[in-house]
Amino acid sequence: MPGPVGPHEVRRVADAALGVSGVDGVEVLFMHEWAGLTRFARSSVHQSTWREDTGIRVRVVAGGRTGVAATNGFSEASAREAAASAREMALVSSPDPDFAGLAPRADAPVREGGFDDATASTTPEARATSIVALAGQVRDGFQAAGAYETAAAEIAVANTEGQFCWAPYTRASVTTVVSGGEEGSGFGERISMRAVNLDFEEIGRRAMDKAVASQRPRDAAPGRYTVILEPAATSTLSEFLAYLGFGGRTLAEGRSCFSGKEGERVAAPSISIRDDALAPRTLGIPFDFEGTPKKQVTLVENGVFKGGVHDRRSAKQAGSESTGHALPAPNPEGPFPLNVCVDAGDATVEQMIASTERGLLVTRFHYANVVNPMDAVITGMTRDGTFLIEGGEIVGPVKNLRFTQSIPEALKRTELVGRDRELAGEFFFADSLVPALKLGDFQFTSASDH
Amino acid sequence: MPELAQQAVEAARRAGADYADSRVVTEDSESLTARNQVMEGVDRATSTGLGVRVLLNGYWGFAATARLEPPEIEQTAALAVEIARAAARLPAEPVRLAEVEPAIATWASPCREDPFAISLEEKVALLMEATRRMQQVKGATFAEAGLDFFRRRTRFASSEGAVIEQTIVNSGGGIEATAIANGGMQRRSYPNSFRGHITAAGWEHIPTLGLIDRAEQTSTEAVQLLSAKDCPGEVTTLILDSGQMALQIHESIGHAVELDRVLGMEEAYAGTSFLRPEDRGKLCYGSALVSVAADATLPGGLGTFGYDDEGVPAQRTPIIQEGIFQDFMSSRETAATIGLPGSSGTMRADSWQNLPLIRMTNVGIEPGEGSLAEIIGETKDGIFMCTNQSWSIDDKRVNFQFGCEIAWRVKDGKLTEMYRNPNYAGITTEFWGNCDAVAGREDWVLWGTPNCGKGQPGQVARTGHGASPARFRNVQVGVR
Repeated sequence: MPGPVGPHEVRRVADAALGVSGVDGVEVLFMHEWAGLTRFARSSVHQSTWREDTGIRVRVVAGGRTGVAATNGFSEASAREAAASAREMALVSSPDPDFAGLAPRADAPVREGGFDDATASTTPEARATSIVALAGQVRDGFQAAGAYETAAAEIAVANTEGQFCWAPYTRASVTTVVSGGEEGSGFGERISMRAVNLDFEEIGRRAMDKAVASQRPRDAAPGRYTVILEPAATSTLSEFLAYLGFGGRTLAEGRSCFSGKEGERVAAPSISIRDDALAPRTLGIPFDFEGTPKKQVTLVENGVFKGGVHDRRSAKQAGSESTGHALPAPNPEGPFPLNVCVDAGDATVEQMIASTERGLLVTRFHYANVVNPMDAVITGMTRDGTFLIEGGEIVGPVKNLRFTQSIPEALKRTELVGRDRELAGEFFFADSLVPALKLGDFQFTSASDH
Repeated sequence: MPELAQQAVEAARRAGADYADSRVVTEDSESLTARNQVMEGVDRATSTGLGVRVLLNGYWGFAATARLEPPEIEQTAALAVEIARAAARLPAEPVRLAEVEPAIATWASPCREDPFAISLEEKVALLMEATRRMQQVKGATFAEAGLDFFRRRTRFASSEGAVIEQTIVNSGGGIEATAIANGGMQRRSYPNSFRGHITAAGWEHIPTLGLIDRAEQTSTEAVQLLSAKDCPGEVTTLILDSGQMALQIHESIGHAVELDRVLGMEEAYAGTSFLRPEDRGKLCYGSALVSVAADATLPGGLGTFGYDDEGVPAQRTPIIQEGIFQDFMSSRETAATIGLPGSSGTMRADSWQNLPLIRMTNVGIEPGEGSLAEIIGETKDGIFMCTNQSWSIDDKRVNFQFGCEIAWRVKDGKLTEMYRNPNYAGITTEFWGNCDAVAGREDWVLWGTPNCGKGQPGQVARTGHGASPARFRNVQVGVR
């Protein structure tokens, strides 16, 4: 297994690009990733892979104009070639009046324990053994599908302003869907920096139990329901809200559902949302893709919108400072929060169920998408375990329903916030550290047949 | 480069593989984006690497590296075999491969003008002029224009003796106008949303798009939408333009007929399908007007190639014939699993570092008769929707909901009132069963979808969709 090439070697190669002549500034983003993935279906391993790649992305600045070129060759020659290509592109570009220069020299915090050697060197045999443990929880008549990935990476940013930051990190994640019986499925997921933190038997058991509970779902009429969203479902709301609401550029340009709403109530007082790359259990990197150290940003506090995140360009637009949320250049969409954390409350899911006269318990959502960005209305389906609650008890599974719902309107009707948080992945976006939520009057607009 | 792929195959065989194939891929891309006459994205990228796939005792293994020195190739091939050996920890029915004649071939997509050889100045000038014309419309907030070019060179070799070199060039462009006022935001795109119209062609495709000529109208419609009424909620007759039809086909037919999904291989992430192997030749998918094929041989599509990433020749597979479901898109493995005579040649990987998966080729509806104008002209009351804005469909491809950029009321055969925020929802087979008109060849367009996601790790494929405008009865529109 490979290991990090390390800051000194990265700097040596980056210097070849930083030395390109005839320009005002150069920024080098370096990435190196190696990852093994064991993918399984029908309770057998069907697609296992291993990959390693490097990437150098060079942004050149010339007279307020920028050009970007990327290569996966990791050598001084490749870096020089990319820099020359980026310079060629910059010279034919047009000046960007909002370009705010390259990041100044600043120390980024070091994330202790962010890189786990054992995770980085997990063997195919070890991954397969873990999946055997997961699949061991699956009863006759059911089958497990999913993926277990152990990934390691290092990232660095260097620029001609003297900034240099480097960080290694690891990520271990497993998801599974157990299905079968007379129709019904269940879901389990865990994400951590360290593979040792994943309890495969527990994940398999959880998905199996859910699949059993989901058997023979009945029809449920679309309409408004009180919903209890397990963390995986909450993450769909938090990630789409991050995408639609909290980007500094979308806010400045009036394209965000929160444009002009700083200081306004956008959720119930029990909802607080932050972006915190260094919070325990998140998998954040201590600096952004421009090399700016990441700040913790309070996005919503006690239901009130406080502001968004910035890269250097959007900060200039807003008359503010970068919060360390730049994405790789060029990035016409601007910055986004990548480590969304919703504050925990004090309720258990059991308490949420017990306090619900009639509602739905949702395990997770599937394939959500935007209906109306200015009102943050999204639509998507439930899957892998949706249950009807009556009189404070789960009375049985129901077939999947489609929701069409404004996220802020839903969050304004928050009744309870979960005590326990999970790091949950979203279909299109990043991971969120989120609790379960109980929300009133959540709108379901149609139903499926399973 | 073919030698490297063959070296990897030989190394895998030495490491014990029963079967091996390898791809050495170089992908070059160039993307330019202008906004309000400022170049905001000028980006080039190149990536080269090698992936080797092996079968050992009926289990797959795959490993990939960007380092192409002989020791690294040897090590990567050995790792692929080690991965296959580990897969046996969970016993399964051994993988069998449908037969394919090993090809020794060279293939390239038609490309009259190399888009990478066209000067950056010419490209920038086009985008700047397109955004300038859009900005001239009063009320337009943002005017964006973009160009995208891709060139993929693949060298494939297999232990069965196949050696294939293939070069595919894709080119495309589009414009998008955004109008923002009074808390509302509306967008119009041309020729299509999500980076426009991308095809398997060279620079010669770009002037045919008419980006500058259509800039003013595109921008005008975005501004007009701000003051239009919301699309009303009702069950009505729905007419879709060919751009929206392309995504309707993609989501509710294309993904549903991928045999790996049907067999549960994508269950945990993208989901499965309502279709079963025994539905071939029996299931009523739509009305008699609905005939759909997956055709990798069509000139100009994003799903056009000479050979797939298993070395299977491009082919045309009937998917739906006069409403009756006919066949799946398959691979060598999945074809053998359900007893098909051979793969339909749809395995593609999005790069050297990922396994090939079943991906849509050019999945399109066969043109019907008459024109869009005639369909509208014979419609007493309904809604005409254009240009996809959003999509969502359940994990078995049954319940869907789509949003479009713009709509008009059709009244007594004429387009009347404009509506904003149009959307519609349906159930796949009911919806296609209610199709009562498909426009003819003159309105048929081979669109490209550049952002099709599937697999773990996630892969983004470029797929093609031939589509004519079509009409559907009894559709729920205006979901709020």
